[in-house]
Amino acid sequence: MASKDVVEYASPARRIANVAVVVFLAVYLLWTILPIFVMFVSSLKDLLEAFRIPAVGDWSGIALFFDFEPTFKHYTNLFVNLNFGVYFFNSVAAALGSAVVSVTLGATCAYALSRTEFRGKKDLFFWIISTRMAPVVAVMVPLYAIFRSLELVGSLWGLILAYTTFNLPFAIWILKGFFDNVPFAIEEAQMVDGATRMQAFRSILPLVAPGIGAFLVLCVLFAWNDFLFASIIGSGGAKTLPVATKELVQPQNIQWGSIMAAGVVTTLPMMFLGLLIRRYLVTGLTMGAVRE
Amino acid sequence: MFYVPKNAIYKRIPRRKFLELGGGVATALGAGSVAVGLSSVVTRSPVQAASSDDAKWKQYSGTKLVFMSENTPPSFAIRENLKPFYDLTGIEVEILTDDLPVVQQKVGIDLRSGKADFHLNYVQDKPIGAPFADYFANLNDFINDDTLPQDPDGMGADAWFENFLDVCGTMYTRDRLIAFPYDSAVACTFYRQDLFEQHSPDFEKEYGYRMEFTKDTTWKNVYDFAEFFKKLRAAGQDVPYGYAQHQGSFAWTAQLDIQRLMYAHGQWTEFDVDDKLGSKEPGPTRWGDESSIFLMEKWKELASVAHPDNLANDTLQLNTVYQAGQIAMQVQYHEFAASIEDEKTSRAAGGKTAYAPCPKGEASWIKNGGQAVNGTSCGIGGIGINNNASDDLKRAAYLFAMWSTSKETQYNVLKGVGGTPTRKAVMDMPGVKEARQRPTDMPNALTFDAVYDYGIKDPHFVLGPKIPEANEYYQIILTEVQKCISGQQDPAATCESIRDQVDDMNDI
Amino acid sequence: MATQVLPGGALRGDAPGGINPVGIMPGFVTRDGVTVLEAEPLARNPEPSRRYYFYMMAPAIITLAAISLYPFFWLIWMSLHDVDIMAGDKWVGLKNFERLFTRDAKFSNGWLLLIQYSAMCLFFEVLLGVLIAVLLNRSRWEKVLVTVFLMPMMMAPAIAGLVWYYLYNGTFGWYHWFMQSVGLLGETSILGSPSTAMIGLVLVDIWQWTPLIVLITLAGLKRVPRDQLEANMVDGAGEIRNFFQVVLPNLYPFLLIGILLRFMDNFRFIDSVLILTGGGPADATNILPVYLFDVSFQYFKLGRGAAIALTLLVVTIILGMFLVKIFDSPAARNVGRTEG
Repeated sequence: MASKDVVEYASPARRIANVAVVVFLAVYLLWTILPIFVMFVSSLKDLLEAFRIPAVGDWSGIALFFDFEPTFKHYTNLFVNLNFGVYFFNSVAAALGSAVVSVTLGATCAYALSRTEFRGKKDLFFWIISTRMAPVVAVMVPLYAIFRSLELVGSLWGLILAYTTFNLPFAIWILKGFFDNVPFAIEEAQMVDGATRMQAFRSILPLVAPGIGAFLVLCVLFAWNDFLFASIIGSGGAKTLPVATKELVQPQNIQWGSIMAAGVVTTLPMMFLGLLIRRYLVTGLTMGAVRE
Repeated sequence: MFYVPKNAIYKRIPRRKFLELGGGVATALGAGSVAVGLSSVVTRSPVQAASSDDAKWKQYSGTKLVFMSENTPPSFAIRENLKPFYDLTGIEVEILTDDLPVVQQKVGIDLRSGKADFHLNYVQDKPIGAPFADYFANLNDFINDDTLPQDPDGMGADAWFENFLDVCGTMYTRDRLIAFPYDSAVACTFYRQDLFEQHSPDFEKEYGYRMEFTKDTTWKNVYDFAEFFKKLRAAGQDVPYGYAQHQGSFAWTAQLDIQRLMYAHGQWTEFDVDDKLGSKEPGPTRWGDESSIFLMEKWKELASVAHPDNLANDTLQLNTVYQAGQIAMQVQYHEFAASIEDEKTSRAAGGKTAYAPCPKGEASWIKNGGQAVNGTSCGIGGIGINNNASDDLKRAAYLFAMWSTSKETQYNVLKGVGGTPTRKAVMDMPGVKEARQRPTDMPNALTFDAVYDYGIKDPHFVLGPKIPEANEYYQIILTEVQKCISGQQDPAATCESIRDQVDDMNDI
Repeated sequence: MATQVLPGGALRGDAPGGINPVGIMPGFVTRDGVTVLEAEPLARNPEPSRRYYFYMMAPAIITLAAISLYPFFWLIWMSLHDVDIMAGDKWVGLKNFERLFTRDAKFSNGWLLLIQYSAMCLFFEVLLGVLIAVLLNRSRWEKVLVTVFLMPMMMAPAIAGLVWYYLYNGTFGWYHWFMQSVGLLGETSILGSPSTAMIGLVLVDIWQWTPLIVLITLAGLKRVPRDQLEANMVDGAGEIRNFFQVVLPNLYPFLLIGILLRFMDNFRFIDSVLILTGGGPADATNILPVYLFDVSFQYFKLGRGAAIALTLLVVTIILGMFLVKIFDSPAARNVGRTEG
């Protein structure tokens, strides 16, 4: 509507509408960016500086927000004293591990599902996706018990498996759609030429590889941002960034500077990854229901 | 600041052993910090009663233990400094820390399922001790065992501050002792002496007495102070609010908050049971009686003159509000003094804050014929031993429980990161007496007069309620009191609603 | 992305009657029923190969079963017991459910609040999301702005909760200061009053998840058939009429998918709610998953918790069936599940 060809025939009412549109989008932009901006700026503030706030209604007081000595001590504190290097690594390992496991298992399963037909396939398929819809809180108690009996609590392996509970069904569901789009004729031709089934399967992988890569990243994103699993299954030996950040809300002192710094550390890589797979985001976030 | 969890088990395992433990795969992946699960090892060299103390301490050398703790200062400090214990015993201890709710979850599942992933548990008195009392080992067995070393100051009730051993160690019966006091949080009054002195003349003109805090200051006085500050604010003066409650989302401290008012007036408690023991079947609650309804009305009045963000601030946030200089007084746990006295984070630091016991009951507010006391509530975190563990593991765990609560350890924590001793003997350690006066290098010591010399003694100290359903009880109190303060229901209906829900919870 | 673009039905391989009598591969059938790729005779995809496919499926299916079916049956078992901390487990039949449905005010309240919460979030997210998408669609700023708008979605909900907590704080929160300065709030912060706490949560959800609706709507707008628009224009419809008569009906399946997904996510994710309010004050934000969290992990009433969890699961599964139905329905055909 706000496109160029319309603007050319601008009437006064149209012009007002255009201004309104710009204002609206600007306000929405501000609304989107502000919390992230505040997080970033606050991560550079001392606690007492962060406490400073102008009197109610004193609009010029907004300047107070920018009136501080930037300090990187919260960041150094995180990595030097608080071991965030390890938590960062845990987050990466758990997220990446579960993404790789999910996409590997998911791809073979999805491929098979795409290429064969059997009684109850539809139900099986629904069951697969329903495991991802289950509220985490609902199944946490039994899951914890299972993980504990497997000696997986507090370890990265446990966390990887825990994340697989939601990443694997996601991967199967999405990747099946991918394989459905690849005509069986390609494999068939390969097999006629004497390729084994496995070789035929591998031959079509390059066709779906970019998509698989994108959903691998998406699996990383889901796992990285998880909090409940990480706090219950992972904490202890495999503390991840969101959990470690929440833990900075300590008895005695809420270390807001460090919390905001940790927020930046946790969020930035994911924003970057989000941009990277921007094209696949909508497909991934709607479980493949919508494509761009 | 003080948190460096270097996976203790892992670090000291020699490379070969590490590979045996299944770390090979981890190394191959470059996953240097993959934890080795929560497995334990126990090795034992038998000793006799006549053996040397050193042999007794060393009898479990090579053993590995896991301690699940809330993220409180002593655990951070002890984790930083485990070497003396390792040198003394040869035992490796891994200390895991988490939020209290997460600790509750994990400890609960561990204990209940007959496992012993965590040999040592942080037994926060009511939230963890009361529900899981039966799952902790009876420490009396170890205290009387002469094949174990013993602390020279003893582990009996006399070694600790009054009531402390009862609060976290005694649940429902004196036959069993489930925990030793590990750290403590006892309520006392933090107030801005600078502001009180500045405004006292004006206050006296209006109310006819001086604005100051002593052990005889009553809840009625607190109301007057808060009202006075609120009026000053309304008149446009730049003063903070006079008072605030802990009625934010943390249910336990919200209950402890109102408990102080209730107990101050005739030692009112919610159940007709021995407060020191508690009960698994506490019977019908007293909520809904005349006392409770009257005091609920007073609670609501206090809320009306308190900081307006009462329902958003729980204990931790409230302390931040005080640090930011937005309230002139808070009833707070003495472990928070260190953060208040820290110039880097607090505007109430540098001699502005003084400490006093909790407010006393107002005689005319007492409806049950009891006495007026300085109702003082508490959370005493104990260290207990998982009864599911094998006998040898339990004995090894006892060594750590004893060491971690020894006066030397507590003294080091006090000097280092704050900390709140539970052993009487710490008071006589070098420098502690001096630290109770300004200038001080142990800010928590500024509260010791109000807490250890007064608040924790009978008849002021309230221990309970020790009931298995303590955590659900807290949530009921929090929700209903919030409804009352926010004007959704009147005090009488609030108390009756609490009564109905609590009795239903206890199958009455 | 797959290089080969084939039009097709929503969920392929859903041939009625289970196994195809002649053992053929599911065909690639377009929406108007024209077969693009011929079904393949059994001879080309022989019986042994099907076993092969099952082997390929097995690892994933077994893993999933272990981590989902087992907990599920455990949940049912617990819901029928009084899983008592002190006394041990006791069979109680349907007593846990009876309690929920007869005298547990927090249970019914929790459902009510969950629906209220989701409805409020979704109303504003759809309203804002569609508006923004329509304004941005094919404009020169589309690429840049959408990219920026996406940022909140990438933030972990737990971190978002902490950041918003910081903004809302009555002592040092800048949003609180702003709302106070424009007269929206008094000194009580937004999370500190039962009458506004829910709004506080809704705002966070809107901030984080409106971008999803924007994305979905943009995808939908790209798929509004040109010919329909043009036909309507020829009939003299203006832009606004066009929007309501042509665009919106075409967007409907997209929006429905967005709404269902968000609704189910509100069941799943309570990270930010736990951090922001924990269900309070005065139960004003005690949505069912939060209450469930309390019952299971704070009170350790595992039996009652399991009963609550099962009701949540059942509703989730019903919603999920709806979702899959929409994927399948003719109306959603051009949602483009299978378009590259």
